[in-house]
Amino acid sequence: MEQFIQAAVIGVSLGAQYALLALGFTLIFGILGVVNFAHGGFYMLGGYVAYSCVVQLGLPYPVGVVAAVAAAAALGWLFELFLLDRLIDDHLATLMLTLGLYLLLSSGLLSIYGPLSMEFTFPVTGSLRFGPIYVPRENLIVLAVCVLAIGALWLILFRTDLGRALRALADDRRVATAQGMRPKILFPAAFALATGLAGLTGALVTPILALSPSVGDPVLATSFLTVILGGLGSLGGAALAAFIVGLVEAFTSVYFGGSIGALVLFVLVLLLLVFRPTGLLGRQARGA
Amino acid sequence: MASSLIQRPRLLGGDEAGALILVAACFAVPILTRNILAYSVLNQALIGVIGAQSVWIMLRMNLLSFATPAFMALGGYTVAIAGEYNITDGFLMTAAAFLVPALVAVPLGALVLRLRGTYFVLVTFVLSQIMQLLLFETPRLTGGSNGIAGIPAATLFGVDMMSQRQVLFYTCGLALLATIVAVALTRYFRQHFASIEENEILAESLGLVVWRYKAMGFVVAAGLAGLAGYALVTMLLTAHPSSFDSVVAVDFIAYTIIGGRGSVLGPIIGSLLLVYATQMFGTQGQYAQGLYGALILVVITVARGGIVGSAAALLRRLRPGRRATA
Amino acid sequence: MKYTLALLSAATIAIAGLQPVAAADPCEIKVGAIGPMSGGGAQWGLAMQSATELAAAEVNAKGGLKLGDKMCKVTVVSYDSKYTADGAAAGANAFASQGIKIMIGPVGSPEATGIKPVAARNGQITWNAAYAKNSLDPKYPLAFHIAPGPATWADPMAKYVLKHFPNIKSVVLIAPNDQAGTDVASVDSQAYQNNGVKASEEYYQRGTTNFAPIITRILASNPDAVDTASSPPGDAGVIVKQLRLAGFKGVIGRMGGPGTEEILRVAGGTDVLQNFYWFETMAVTDQMRAIDDQFRKLLGKDPIGGTSMWGDLPAARMTLKAIEVAGTADDAEKVAAALRTLPVDDPNMGKGVWAGQKQYGINQELYFPFAVGIIKDGKQVGITRVDPNS
Repeated sequence: MEQFIQAAVIGVSLGAQYALLALGFTLIFGILGVVNFAHGGFYMLGGYVAYSCVVQLGLPYPVGVVAAVAAAAALGWLFELFLLDRLIDDHLATLMLTLGLYLLLSSGLLSIYGPLSMEFTFPVTGSLRFGPIYVPRENLIVLAVCVLAIGALWLILFRTDLGRALRALADDRRVATAQGMRPKILFPAAFALATGLAGLTGALVTPILALSPSVGDPVLATSFLTVILGGLGSLGGAALAAFIVGLVEAFTSVYFGGSIGALVLFVLVLLLLVFRPTGLLGRQARGA
Repeated sequence: MASSLIQRPRLLGGDEAGALILVAACFAVPILTRNILAYSVLNQALIGVIGAQSVWIMLRMNLLSFATPAFMALGGYTVAIAGEYNITDGFLMTAAAFLVPALVAVPLGALVLRLRGTYFVLVTFVLSQIMQLLLFETPRLTGGSNGIAGIPAATLFGVDMMSQRQVLFYTCGLALLATIVAVALTRYFRQHFASIEENEILAESLGLVVWRYKAMGFVVAAGLAGLAGYALVTMLLTAHPSSFDSVVAVDFIAYTIIGGRGSVLGPIIGSLLLVYATQMFGTQGQYAQGLYGALILVVITVARGGIVGSAAALLRRLRPGRRATA
Repeated sequence: MKYTLALLSAATIAIAGLQPVAAADPCEIKVGAIGPMSGGGAQWGLAMQSATELAAAEVNAKGGLKLGDKMCKVTVVSYDSKYTADGAAAGANAFASQGIKIMIGPVGSPEATGIKPVAARNGQITWNAAYAKNSLDPKYPLAFHIAPGPATWADPMAKYVLKHFPNIKSVVLIAPNDQAGTDVASVDSQAYQNNGVKASEEYYQRGTTNFAPIITRILASNPDAVDTASSPPGDAGVIVKQLRLAGFKGVIGRMGGPGTEEILRVAGGTDVLQNFYWFETMAVTDQMRAIDDQFRKLLGKDPIGGTSMWGDLPAARMTLKAIEVAGTADDAEKVAAALRTLPVDDPNMGKGVWAGQKQYGINQELYFPFAVGIIKDGKQVGITRVDPNS
């Protein structure tokens, strides 16, 4: 029984990490129609910027996190504005562009920081104990940030003009532009919002796990899986799917072991997609 | 590509003829030179050509497939396992490498072809991951994480294809076969594929039985991927799971898109160029991936429609009098 | 007059003595360094490159390798094999096209598997550093092995560890589900069982970043020790961190490859590790540390790889010597034959033996005394040499 509860606890922590990543990914897809292959790269960038601020410059950790978000958002803004924007309608071209960016980012980080993992630990250590169940404090903080982020995104998208404009662009770009909304400013903003979120996740999660130039690869696979499961373009779907994926991964790994656990997860996602192609909460199947 | 309603349909378009000639011309390399580096690079490039064509066929129907490595693995391992029983006849193995993945693609296609767009992309990605896990979980059949090493060479008319030169000849043959298949399929069903690519729903409402052509495309693409797997395994003399990782799919997609998805010439040119570039960058060690990424960024930004597409556009602009060829 | 003559003669003799004996034809020997130089295994590939560069620089500082009556300079050409079988095979072919018959590397198990048949076909020597079950094979007489794998040292190491931690009665090994993981973990498992310890293996999907679920699974069976085998150091660091967070108080081990420093970094220090044992390819001495200084002196930059690079060095040095003994760098079989006659004795690494007959059927692996490191109750006990039994 304790194993069950422990697995559930771990599943929720995993879900929080995945949700933070999936939200950014689905935001970009929903509003711009871009599959961001570089998502893992922004995650790593956030981690490394935070690392540099904290370990190399001696700044306090929260400052490092803010710097990470700023750096990832800035890069995202510039990339969208100068490279993605002119090809925004060609989904395959944008996919390739983000792929190229990812290769550049990981190669660049490898050259600057080297291939080894960095010594970067989370400032809050230790776990809370409830009998045989343990909950690491760091996971609670990530969970809290995740809930705040979901709340903040919801607020931005549904309670501000900016958000309304972004949603309008996602729904029907021509009508929205005719109504006076300017994609030239809004698209980079949306992209920056999403990449900033990825940077935030990197700054938070890499000290909990590990920081090296290869930690970005699994991020893409997980984000992809989660976002499609939840339904492309649906924020609620992404968050829900993230927690489901986290829980499924936790339970299958605990009861079936790492390798079979992964197989079960993939087959489950495959079957779900076959019988419900728009994902859990997705709307129209958007072409790629 | 403009339709050929006005012109009399020719047997082969300019691009397709060009593609066949280009691939056939590759035979010149093992015939005329002895340079081992050329052999190695061309061999890898031709494997890329076959794989890229598999991706290209799917792209004709607006479907981006990441499942190429999974079907390659099916083709490659079939040959490797047959090799353990000393079955190495070239014709038999070529047929097997094409048919085994094609047959597996039939039920798989029934399952996944109802998805479109990015959902399809993900499902094919998941298929590649599942294949890797299956390879790992079946050590007695596939050697598990160690793979099957030391496969006997393919035999053509009783002659072992052992030396680098013979292996390259063999790969040239496989590449030519693949190109012929790709050209035949897309040429014969040009209009069907074109209408599916343009607007699938409209095509269906006009009476086209869309799923048949999608299935055909998927099955043939799987078969071609199997041939690529065969070529790879023959070059390495080993079937190893790391050769069929999902990142391999990214390479083939890159070749096709950068080469140009509009015509069969695209994946061929894309492969030849990028494999050569990778080889050149390979000696740069840690900067290789970054240079590759920069190349992708530059080509996509500057050369819309890929290299072939841009070249065609340039030609059209330079000769304003000519009609647009199909 | 006699004075001037004497002075002139002395000067002439002096100048003549300073000239090289024969005006050497500029001749160049190219040696290949191959391994992963990007991605997760980059440090090992770059270490291979550094080792080869140092060996070449040392030889060039003395004027080069003497082949016949020429002094030939040695240059190193690198290739990134990306930790895959086809990458390694492509590298072998790329080297063959430049006439390079001698390769130091590759590193990983898939690379070793991929390169052997192709190198055999091209007639090239390879020195793989993999811990694979098939690292050496009598079918491939030109393939050499840089250092022994667990097949050789797991058993003596298990005995040594049990002396320090006699309460270990059960162990769970955790490794990734690829060849590098399975080849090592399965051999380790056997070694533990041969010494009376119950052992089981848990494989995780490559790409896993969060090991909390697997750790929950492992801890359900209440093992006395958890062994990270050949998990990459980044992963192993996270595993250690999360094991301690989960409240595991037992011993953590690493019967696998190098990378303990990185693990310490990721995990957060010796008090997190508490009780830890690990395999070291060598007991580090000042003579070995001097290798890095030597590198900086001769090449003017920092070496990459630490103990990995030091471990690769004897192979590189011995191979260059073998080229000189064989009198050629173009005939791999002659160089291999010369190599087999050389004693295993390195100026920095000390004395070793040729090994491998029992495990692989062919004696082409360099076996220097390995070491085991122990951290007990949060304190470094030290790294001790373990003498091999065989």
